[in-house]
Amino acid sequence: MAVTVFAAIDIGSYNVSIEVFELTKKSGLRSLTRVRKALELGKDTFSLKKISMERLEELTDILNDYKRIMKEFGVTAYRACAKSAFREAKNRYLAVDHIRRATGITIDVLSNSEQRFLGYKSIASRGEEFQKFIEKGTAIVDVGGGSIQISLFDNDSLVTTQNLVLGSLRVRQRLSSFERETTHYDVLVEQLFRKEISSFKRMYLKNRSIVNIILVGDYFTNLIFQNKSDLNKLETREEFMKWYDHFMKSSPADLAEELGISSDMVSVLIPMAVLYRKLIEELHVEMIWLPGIQLTDGVAYDYGEKNGIIRASHDFEKDIVMSAKNMASRYSSNKAHTEMLVMAAGKIFDVVKKSAELSPRDRLLLEVACYLHDCGKYISLVNVADCSYNIIMSTEIIGLSDRERRIIANVVKYNTAELTYYRDVAESDLLDTDDYMLVCQLVAIMRLANCLDQSYMQKMKSLSVVKKEKELILTVGSDDDYTLERGIFRENVDFFEEIFDLRPILKMKKKR
Amino acid sequence: MASKINEKESVKTAGAKTGKPGKSGEPDYGAPSNFCNRELSWLLFDRRCLSEARDRQIVPLFERLKFLSITASNLDEFFMVRIASLKDQVHAGYKGVDIAGMTPEQQLQALSVKVHEFVHEQYNTYSRMLVPALGKAGLVVLQDATNLTDEQSAYLDQYFERSVYPVLTPMALDSSRPFPLVRNKTLNIGALISPKDGSEELVKKGKKKDGLEFATVQVPSVLPRIVELPRMADGRRAVILLEEVIRRYIGTLFQHYDVICTAAYRIERNADLTLDEEEAEDLLVEIQKQLKKRQWGEVIRLEVEENIDKRLLKILRKEFGTGEDDIYFAGGPLDLTFCMKLYGLDGFDEYKTPKYTPAPVPEFMNAPDVFAAIRKQNILVHHPYMSFDPVVDFVRQAAVDPDVLAIKQTLYRVSGNSPIIAALAKAADNGKQVCVLVELKARFDEENNIAWAKMLEKAGCHVIYGLLGLKVHSKITMVVRREEEGIRRYVHLGTGNYNDSTARLYTDCGLFTCDAAIGEDATAVFNMLSGYSEPDRWNKLIVAPIWMKKRFLAMIRREEEFAKAGREAFIRAKMNSLCDPVIIKALYEASHYGVKIELLVRGICCLKVGIPGISENISVRSIVGNFLEHSRIFWFHNDGDDEFYMGSADWMPRNLDKRVEIVFPVEDERLKKEVAHILNTEFEDNVKAHILQPDGSYQKIDKRGKVLVNSQEQFCVEAWARVPKLPTPLEERRFTPAEPVAEEEEP
Repeated sequence: MAVTVFAAIDIGSYNVSIEVFELTKKSGLRSLTRVRKALELGKDTFSLKKISMERLEELTDILNDYKRIMKEFGVTAYRACAKSAFREAKNRYLAVDHIRRATGITIDVLSNSEQRFLGYKSIASRGEEFQKFIEKGTAIVDVGGGSIQISLFDNDSLVTTQNLVLGSLRVRQRLSSFERETTHYDVLVEQLFRKEISSFKRMYLKNRSIVNIILVGDYFTNLIFQNKSDLNKLETREEFMKWYDHFMKSSPADLAEELGISSDMVSVLIPMAVLYRKLIEELHVEMIWLPGIQLTDGVAYDYGEKNGIIRASHDFEKDIVMSAKNMASRYSSNKAHTEMLVMAAGKIFDVVKKSAELSPRDRLLLEVACYLHDCGKYISLVNVADCSYNIIMSTEIIGLSDRERRIIANVVKYNTAELTYYRDVAESDLLDTDDYMLVCQLVAIMRLANCLDQSYMQKMKSLSVVKKEKELILTVGSDDDYTLERGIFRENVDFFEEIFDLRPILKMKKKR
Repeated sequence: MASKINEKESVKTAGAKTGKPGKSGEPDYGAPSNFCNRELSWLLFDRRCLSEARDRQIVPLFERLKFLSITASNLDEFFMVRIASLKDQVHAGYKGVDIAGMTPEQQLQALSVKVHEFVHEQYNTYSRMLVPALGKAGLVVLQDATNLTDEQSAYLDQYFERSVYPVLTPMALDSSRPFPLVRNKTLNIGALISPKDGSEELVKKGKKKDGLEFATVQVPSVLPRIVELPRMADGRRAVILLEEVIRRYIGTLFQHYDVICTAAYRIERNADLTLDEEEAEDLLVEIQKQLKKRQWGEVIRLEVEENIDKRLLKILRKEFGTGEDDIYFAGGPLDLTFCMKLYGLDGFDEYKTPKYTPAPVPEFMNAPDVFAAIRKQNILVHHPYMSFDPVVDFVRQAAVDPDVLAIKQTLYRVSGNSPIIAALAKAADNGKQVCVLVELKARFDEENNIAWAKMLEKAGCHVIYGLLGLKVHSKITMVVRREEEGIRRYVHLGTGNYNDSTARLYTDCGLFTCDAAIGEDATAVFNMLSGYSEPDRWNKLIVAPIWMKKRFLAMIRREEEFAKAGREAFIRAKMNSLCDPVIIKALYEASHYGVKIELLVRGICCLKVGIPGISENISVRSIVGNFLEHSRIFWFHNDGDDEFYMGSADWMPRNLDKRVEIVFPVEDERLKKEVAHILNTEFEDNVKAHILQPDGSYQKIDKRGKVLVNSQEQFCVEAWARVPKLPTPLEERRFTPAEPVAEEEEP
């Protein structure tokens, strides 16, 4: 039986943890060990905006220890992920390089959406349990040291995901200078959350009923519930409130004793507990699920899935597409045109993918780009390219890395803007040559597909795409006047040919 | 947190003066009168050992010598640690009371009386019982070197000149030579000497009013304490103690003096290490420094010969700053631990218990390797009845097994030439990840452990020196192995140290398992010991200091609830010592509600039996036998779903609050029966068991008319009975017919 021993390292704001897994096709994921070491990297980043040398040295020591753990279990693959403490540090590139040289470990600095997606994957690793839970309106609340991510599910689909920059450690840092002025620290925290949560509620919960909440993503989520219940347990709202009362009435010293942590760490737990209570009240949640999982579970699950060891029971790509669709609808995209664009672009992609060495992931990026291709029109009809670019770059799309988001934003931008040569694009859009080439390929496909419905009138009733030697033959079935589309098509042919070395030929087929 | 609150309460109630019922009408379980002082209780344990030395009915003569020696070494340690600690408290002005309501000063006073009585009894046993009996058995222990045969004298003259004299360092005191450092536990001979007439120069140098000077010479520890002499005239063997040999020739050491009087003396110093672990940059270096200081510790006890010259005693008292209560007059040779050497003399086999050879463990006998055997089933080992070899083999085989990735082990006390240490070093050499926690703070083994730690580090092992503020007392070994089905962890959990020497003398239990849940816990234990976070939860192991006390209390209370509900409820537990006030209170409460509690406590027991309404359902017994009872086993009836646990922890505050200890469950029904059998047999023991009485004393069981049950002897027999008989050569001879030759077909 093929067994892979994989290590997932999670470099968080106040903890660095490693979990070693055994992955097999037969039994999926099995955790062999999980270890944590406290290191308040976030303390540096959230106040100094950089990671100090002292903390970096501490991290080096920890990671060298983790290397030993990896050796003890014969680990054959690993992924080390850093989150907001690295992401927001000005010296993150230097820090990553320092760690690589000192330990040999390459750190992957996750974008927020990647991080949340992995967190979300970790819950989905619970399989049917998760599928069943999200049938009803469900919020996944992922509290980290730097921020909180709230993702809403309805009818088995992701509705939206939002990031609130109010992580437990960040809140503690923010209130630390004046917390002594009050005896009701919890009230202070509650007031800080109130504004954010009510905005969120107003925008996303107008017509939605959220009955379930899943609390994940952080070591403390498990910690604060450890004495109350077994991990991976469902709780009712009443049970939670009872626990909350006990929690808030206990002194920090008692809590530290009860939970086996330092008093300093207790101050990180309080904001978290207040937030949970606030959300449970505001969303009128009935059931609370504590799956007892962490980012490392998601990282391992992701590895297993990507390497064909684990077959996902949940379609994660569907969630990414759903997020894009919801975003398109928020910016009043033309739904019919977009659907046609997605269809046409997909067909062209499938024909050229092999020769152009494009991956299924590239197809997903193209699909998301198609859904968002005209979102900028919501802001300005004149400057669509830049507006679309800016909207995409400032919106989180769960499951996409920063790089992928940048690719999508550029594809959308250059769908209408003039695509210049690499040097000019790279300077303004931070693309490397590979990404630039991908952007060019996806833009060429999108432009071609887009002009097939240039009038936004869905004249095209059918489309077939075939490759014949040096030609890409697109046969459109339509009974309508297709003059405008033909004209625009001709304008895009050269660019496509330049990219794919295939001359697009448009052929018409009468439907009647 | 709950345990902490309870403890605070218990301290408060322990300090209360009466044991009147509380508001709820329940008895005041925590009243000081309900507890024995732990030091006095310890002394009762040493007395039980002494009773073995005095038991001529059952205990063979030379075994009695062994017990007497044990009482002496026990007492030494008791002074260096416990009495020293009480003295420290008195010096610090501490007036708090213990669970029995006694201040440190009161404890010292009470102990002084009891210990003086005890020492008197030790020497009675030696001089009046053992020496005469030895003489009858054919071994004469000469009290001094005055009445020797010519042959013996000649032998001693030569022995002294060749072997003893070269290693002696006599030291005289004068203004230029201050009182020398007298090392802890060394035996010395003090002398008053007077310059001989005509040695005017010397008179001038060290002149005193009476012309007497003090001189001292250490009895060299490099030489055997017992010197065997040529036989007596009647043919019996004869021995003399080294200090008597030196005394005979002491005049030769101070040639320009007359020796006025001599007396042997010995001191014990405060041996408690005062470590500031928070401040220590390197624990190993800090402990090394402290060990040196141990030689200068306060003198806690001065032992002198009964008939010591008063002037000599005065000098010693002054130099060592000893109070009157701390002087112990010996009615025989000082430091009775030499009795162990007498025991070790060749011959006299009829006066010794035949040496027991541990039985092989059947489960490992026909298995291709230890791992295959463990994969087949969980294996319980009961030492010393069963061999300790599987434990050594576990590490040895892991060291050379190509599939083994890592070996992790905790070491508290190891033997002098430990095969386990050698195997660990070999494993590191073979490229395995070897992580060893060597507890540098293991009392009196600090130096030994420092040496091991350095050696293991040199061999490439990752050595951890224990945890800040906690002693790691748990006994656990884990082997991580890569197998076809994936990573598998093999774990050995024990109640005793990884010490192949003591494993022949101490009764301990161990469990070999590859249970995945225990493997996961074992990894978590080592992670925790390496300074990482503890896990969110433990699957099966119960770990001190954070979780263990709570669990034990919960299990005791669970029995109480069953008793309250009118169901059968009982607890049977075996341990070395019982003195945790919170646990004792919980036991009292459980007993009050009808839980039957049977305890086997070898040593200290602060619990009192037979207190009306409080401990009438509790019985306590202590087995003091040939082997040192050392295992800790806990049995909770749990309404018929009996739970068994074993581990390294006693029910003492130090084990539950200040140490890393592991208690593990025994879950297989087959093994549960074995553990129940161990406990049941020990509760049936009527030969070596002493029963705690309501007045705090211990009494042996009246054996008249009863079938004698000596649990240790029974386990020896049973261990060998389990071993499958190897086929005899005759049985092995089998007739195997040759292949029938095919008959050629007729043409």
